Amino acid sequence: MATEYIPPKQGVFGQFFDVTFLLGLVFVVLFLPIWLGIAVPSRVEKLPPGVSYTTNADGTRDWTGLSWDALKQNPTMQAQWEKLGYTKETAAAIITMPFDYKIDVMGVGLTIIIICGYFGFMLVVSEKEYRQVIAEKFD
Amino acid sequence: MDREATAVAGETGSHVGLLKVLGPVHVWALGVGIVLVGEFMGWNYGVGKGGAFGALISCFVIGILYTCVAMIDSEITSTVAAAGGQYAQAKHTIGPLMAFNVGLYMVLTYTMLNASDIQVAGQLVQIAAGNMNVTIPWQPYTILCLALLTLLNYRGVLATLSVNFVITALAFLSILVLFIGVKPWAPHEVLLHSQLLTALPYGWLGVLASFHFGIWYYLGIEGTCQSAEEVRSPGRALPLGTMTGMITLLIAAAITWYVVCGLLPWEYIGWDAELAPLYDAARVTGSSTLTVILFIGTLFSAIASANGCINDAARAWFSMGRDRYLPIWFGAVHPKYRTPFRSILFLTPIAAIFALYIPLAEIITFSILSGLLNYTFMPINMWKFRRKWPIGSIRRGFEHPFHPIPAGVLLTLCVATFFAIYLGYGRQLLSMMLFYIVASAWFAFYRYRYVRRGDQFSMPWPRPQGY
Amino acid sequence: MWLLLTDAAWIVSIVIFGWLIWDFIRVNMRYSESVLLSSREGVDELFAESGQKEP
Repeated sequence: MATEYIPPKQGVFGQFFDVTFLLGLVFVVLFLPIWLGIAVPSRVEKLPPGVSYTTNADGTRDWTGLSWDALKQNPTMQAQWEKLGYTKETAAAIITMPFDYKIDVMGVGLTIIIICGYFGFMLVVSEKEYRQVIAEKFD
Repeated sequence: MDREATAVAGETGSHVGLLKVLGPVHVWALGVGIVLVGEFMGWNYGVGKGGAFGALISCFVIGILYTCVAMIDSEITSTVAAAGGQYAQAKHTIGPLMAFNVGLYMVLTYTMLNASDIQVAGQLVQIAAGNMNVTIPWQPYTILCLALLTLLNYRGVLATLSVNFVITALAFLSILVLFIGVKPWAPHEVLLHSQLLTALPYGWLGVLASFHFGIWYYLGIEGTCQSAEEVRSPGRALPLGTMTGMITLLIAAAITWYVVCGLLPWEYIGWDAELAPLYDAARVTGSSTLTVILFIGTLFSAIASANGCINDAARAWFSMGRDRYLPIWFGAVHPKYRTPFRSILFLTPIAAIFALYIPLAEIITFSILSGLLNYTFMPINMWKFRRKWPIGSIRRGFEHPFHPIPAGVLLTLCVATFFAIYLGYGRQLLSMMLFYIVASAWFAFYRYRYVRRGDQFSMPWPRPQGY
Repeated sequence: MWLLLTDAAWIVSIVIFGWLIWDFIRVNMRYSESVLLSSREGVDELFAESGQKEP
């Protein structure tokens, strides 16, 4: 018979610390990177040939060479954009921001190592803890 | 003290437990209710990542992923019938640290899903007011929605799930109404697929990238297992509720894609700030009846989803508290309403803050990532479950066929989806992994000392083989 | 009208959260921790009818 493990009793202060730690983790690791604009989708501006703009002081843009044709929108698409309340200028702000799927080998490698390392660590530690659980339950 | 307390406890015998009141219809409503909102918002970001056809392909491929999830989950959950679903499974098949992580996956999946729902509900009210040329803030409506749903959940599970059933059914109906309203039998009249559909904008890499949001068509269907402890006969109700739920979602997803992509340009559908594609689709048809119906449908689906999410997240958090993976304080049940009332209230401000300050696509990505980690755990879980207790060694409520093919397919698709998220959302992927790594280290090296060892294994099963 | 609705949304939210917090504090004061924490992981009907442990 394996000896039963008696956990220490956790006081109010300890419980409070644990909750604060987890809450802090959520906000520092998940909330802040997005709120500060670090972890955002990788969209990169790509203007069609012959189209350019200058930004005014109040943030509005003056476009040159902009047309629905240049944005590769056929008359049907143009009609739907207009039904949604867009002009070619406001639509251009959306259409000229495609995703950038550049794959950098370092980044992929790092991500793979982190994910595999995480699962590896978790499975190894879990296995160790699981053997204790089974021993205490069945011996 | 405690005369009243003893009286309450006396009603059910020796302790205050969760009520066992749910049938298959409730299981369906809990599953679909959470997920259906995925057809009203969020899936469209997949169009942004891979074009309209990319989103369609990812809808089918991820449908296969979820079929595997449903098969595996039905077998294990119908056998491990305890609140906490996959979390309770992980405790019995893999071990405490894995279980702690799975519990966190579920809490974050549902809390973030909840945050996205209430954000959409609030902003939808703002958009509707905007269409009537009134400018109002959306925040009070988001908070109001959260307050009402928290109240419902705080006061009891049956009322909550019956409400869910009704509003889920109505939301589903609104998709069907829109489908009929756009006259699918007469193309070119309303639907303009031949003019609006384009070639793949990012090639096949984009199709892969759109797997990321393909998850959103179905995310949360595995939540059916969450309330196993409250289901009357889990062996029958869980597989039945989950499978009919999957079929409902496949139909809804197909219709949604068909209607929306036949009415809107793909760049618009996939834009990061596009909130409610089905509602917008109804708007461009020019029919005010359809617009109102889809406004109600979107709102209802968001509310139904948020409602189920509060329930699921709180129950997972509660289960972890009860097992001392988290402070035991969270393991409390309300003596009158029999709900995990402390967990419900604790998670509410987190949902509120993310809903108010984080853009929709990013909240959704947190939810998707946590869900994806959970699906990656499932095949490992299945292999260990079959190895430790081969068929026949314990009574299973349901045995899924063709093992280990579903587990292998599931793992492969999960790896592909991780890569899909890396494309375009790589940094967010890393920040989420960092979160789970730090939390795991905290649990393994510090928190686990407060956990009882043998008590974690609560099923009346024989010793696992090989231990 | 819309502005009134917006104010109403704030007020109703505050009232609901107020009630929740009030009930929460009341329950915590009135019942002992041992009652509130007395729930156990469910042993289910599925197993009750099959008659417990297999050999």
